[in-house]
Amino acid sequence: MPLTPVHLDELRALLGADGVLASEAARFTYEADALALEKHMPDVIVLPRSTDEVAALVRWARARRIPVTPRGAGTGLAGGATAEHGGIVLSVNRMDRMLRLDVDAMLAWVQPGLVNLALSQQLAPLGLYYAPDPASQQVSTIGGNVATNAGGPHCLKYGVTFNHILGVVVVLEDGSVVTLGGEAPDSPDFDLAGAVIGSEGTLAIATEICVRLLPRPEAVKTMLFDFTTIEAACRAVSAVIADGIVPAAMEIMDQHTTELIEDWLHLGLPRDAAAVLLIEVDGPAVSLEAQVEKIGAHARALGTRSIRIAKDDAERAAIWRGRKSAFGAYGRTASGFYIMDGVVPRTRLAEALAEVYRLCEVRGLDAGNVFHAGDGNLHPHVLFDARDAAAQARALDASHEILRMCIRFGGTISGEHGVGIEKRSMMRELFAPDDLAVMARLRGAFAPDGVLNPGKILPGDGDGHSAPAQMGGMRVRDDAQGPWI
Amino acid sequence: MTQAATRPLAELATADPARYAIGGAAPRFAARPALREAVVELVAAAALDRLAIVPWGGGVALPHETTPGRYDLAVDLTALDRVIEHDPEDQTLTAECGVTIATLRRRLAAHRQELPLEAAHADRATLGGALAANASGPRRLRFGSPRDRILGARFALADGTFARSGGKVVKNVAGYGIHRLLCGSRGWLALILEASLKLAPAPEHRVALVYAVDRATLLDGARWAFLPRLEPAFVTVVSEALTRAIGVSSGAAFSVIVGLEDDRPWVAQQEAAVAKVIGAPVARLEDDEAGALVQRLADLEEADAARRTFTTRGNTPGALGPIAASLGDRFVFHAPAGRLHVFGERPLATPASLTRIDARGAGTAADTTASATGVTALRARIRAALDPGKALALGDRWTGM
Repeated sequence: MPLTPVHLDELRALLGADGVLASEAARFTYEADALALEKHMPDVIVLPRSTDEVAALVRWARARRIPVTPRGAGTGLAGGATAEHGGIVLSVNRMDRMLRLDVDAMLAWVQPGLVNLALSQQLAPLGLYYAPDPASQQVSTIGGNVATNAGGPHCLKYGVTFNHILGVVVVLEDGSVVTLGGEAPDSPDFDLAGAVIGSEGTLAIATEICVRLLPRPEAVKTMLFDFTTIEAACRAVSAVIADGIVPAAMEIMDQHTTELIEDWLHLGLPRDAAAVLLIEVDGPAVSLEAQVEKIGAHARALGTRSIRIAKDDAERAAIWRGRKSAFGAYGRTASGFYIMDGVVPRTRLAEALAEVYRLCEVRGLDAGNVFHAGDGNLHPHVLFDARDAAAQARALDASHEILRMCIRFGGTISGEHGVGIEKRSMMRELFAPDDLAVMARLRGAFAPDGVLNPGKILPGDGDGHSAPAQMGGMRVRDDAQGPWI
Repeated sequence: MTQAATRPLAELATADPARYAIGGAAPRFAARPALREAVVELVAAAALDRLAIVPWGGGVALPHETTPGRYDLAVDLTALDRVIEHDPEDQTLTAECGVTIATLRRRLAAHRQELPLEAAHADRATLGGALAANASGPRRLRFGSPRDRILGARFALADGTFARSGGKVVKNVAGYGIHRLLCGSRGWLALILEASLKLAPAPEHRVALVYAVDRATLLDGARWAFLPRLEPAFVTVVSEALTRAIGVSSGAAFSVIVGLEDDRPWVAQQEAAVAKVIGAPVARLEDDEAGALVQRLADLEEADAARRTFTTRGNTPGALGPIAASLGDRFVFHAPAGRLHVFGERPLATPASLTRIDARGAGTAADTTASATGVTALRARIRAALDPGKALALGDRWTGM
């Protein structure tokens, strides 16, 4: 149902004139998230400032059965923040404050529009930080992170978003406001917050979020290894884990990726390495020397050609800049590429990567890999010439086969970006019909009226395969970090 | 899809009902299926007869609960006890939920890994029971709660639907986290049959430091304020009357036990930091002895049948301040975990800083704030969606918590 001028007046009465955007230009801006293939213009964008305003908006929308799609920074790669069925995009951008900080209890209440990195920056003088650090953290919001249960390079040691959320105030589909969880570590009865976190705005809209804070680690050591085979790098990852060491991060870049980054940024990464392995350990200074030594021994045993340990913060930042620039590096050079977010058990990484390259090679395509090795979370990039429709079709086919391989290896189709529109058809291959039916029953208990982000996550009748996030032909500034994977 | 029952219940339910009494009342039937297909067949048969079901783990806590209004069939899940997959290099484990916590611990110890779940009486407590009870012990700060560790689950709904959510890999955002929802569900949403968990490396070294503390010292918040940032494995306060059960007594009104676990250099540094602020302990335990003490501290949760359990954001012994006057002489408080168990039936004034999460054998009063009412309604809708026949008998009991 298209919105009428009367509707817009009603919304302005609820949220103020500056809380409602309905111009064509504004709607165009919000027609997609980072899954640019799926474009759907919302009828209106609303910018509430408080829980009460969100509740009023949701009540208004539900009474008229107008879909509401919540949106953080729009960095998601799965179309979760795209208003597929039109209606309202609810941007949390004006809800960007820290509401309360309790230093002793090491927690803070924040609004969902607060940018992830801004939170940790505010906490830095207190020696505290918020651990989840999705690579998009410079722009992505805590609310968006909650919706996708976002990960990041450091979730190997510290866990993903839900491990750091104590409670959420949410608006339910009927406009009622409830607190799930709270400031204490537990809440009575079964874990409602655990169900809502990662539900991509389909069960409820989080409007206030209680985050757990951690003491900043006393020391950090960042190491870089280079291997002549990607398999050896993967085996080094397994050896470290089996030895009982839990690094803060373990990331691998393949040669294709390293070369693209070097062409661009000239960071001194080894161009001829089949795989560059980045391992970071953090914690008490007194613990780190032994860990660095043990990790180095494993890497040497598996044939690393060199071990580079960052001497200072500047060198550490340069190493991470290389890792976090991968996305931008692909975007600069390839005319098109698909990115996947599959996960395999970490012991099957080497096999899985070989399969990724094979699946692309038999289709005449190039592939690059940069991934969270410690978690088994792959981010294969399947490259193609965007002007060649046949190549694009082969790339799409390869990307689906890669996700099928992840399922076959005992893994999953999304490690940290969510299902959204992009992967919902693959849900049928990951889960049995009964599994999906139970999930649909849960969704019905939360949101029976189809107003909250309808169509996302669960496959509907007649859903075909949609393409994964396609990027390419981007103009990337030299100072950009391309921080999305 | 609901499974068709092929055999009548009487043929399937061959266990002795007397062994499954709750609050003194036994069910009409009991069964101990050994295959998950048999569980599904059993609950489907029970659904046909509209029977009220209670899933059983090791029976650590259930016998002390109040008898449910309806209780026809006990489903004992302890025969489903296989470890399905444990690859040490993955640091993950998938097991059937009837396996005991102690069995899993023994298996993992050989690989220097730990099962990051705590439970009273680990030799009897099952994986499924620990998850369903949202078990939390002294080391909660280190491990997180069950929901922090569960990666996926297979479960049966009371209508015989067999389903799963999540998976066995450490990162997974595909689909709803029903496995997390089941943590703390106490057997009133589904029968949890299999779970995958994220493991932890075993610490190289453990130390437990026992301090003798009088009431004024216990409640001095400033004294303990340094502890959370030191990230101890646990800080547990035990009242003198309960110390006999743990075999360690400071002789004072309260014992505060500080646990440190990690690599040796860090533990030594932490221990020095603790001593600098609060002095030398009256007793000090190391490694296996310290580990055994942790289990005895967890066992205290079942010290008495009458028990109230609270959670609080207060993360040091000072959090007991507002409640101290009515605490009585039988309680245990796992401080950084924010979990307090108070035993006995004496009245207890509950300040806003404490949230009651469980009560048995003692009076209950409903939280009537608007949000709590909304949460209760939401819980009821979820229950209606997953168990529309209200077959899982404990559900009625918890709805009003």
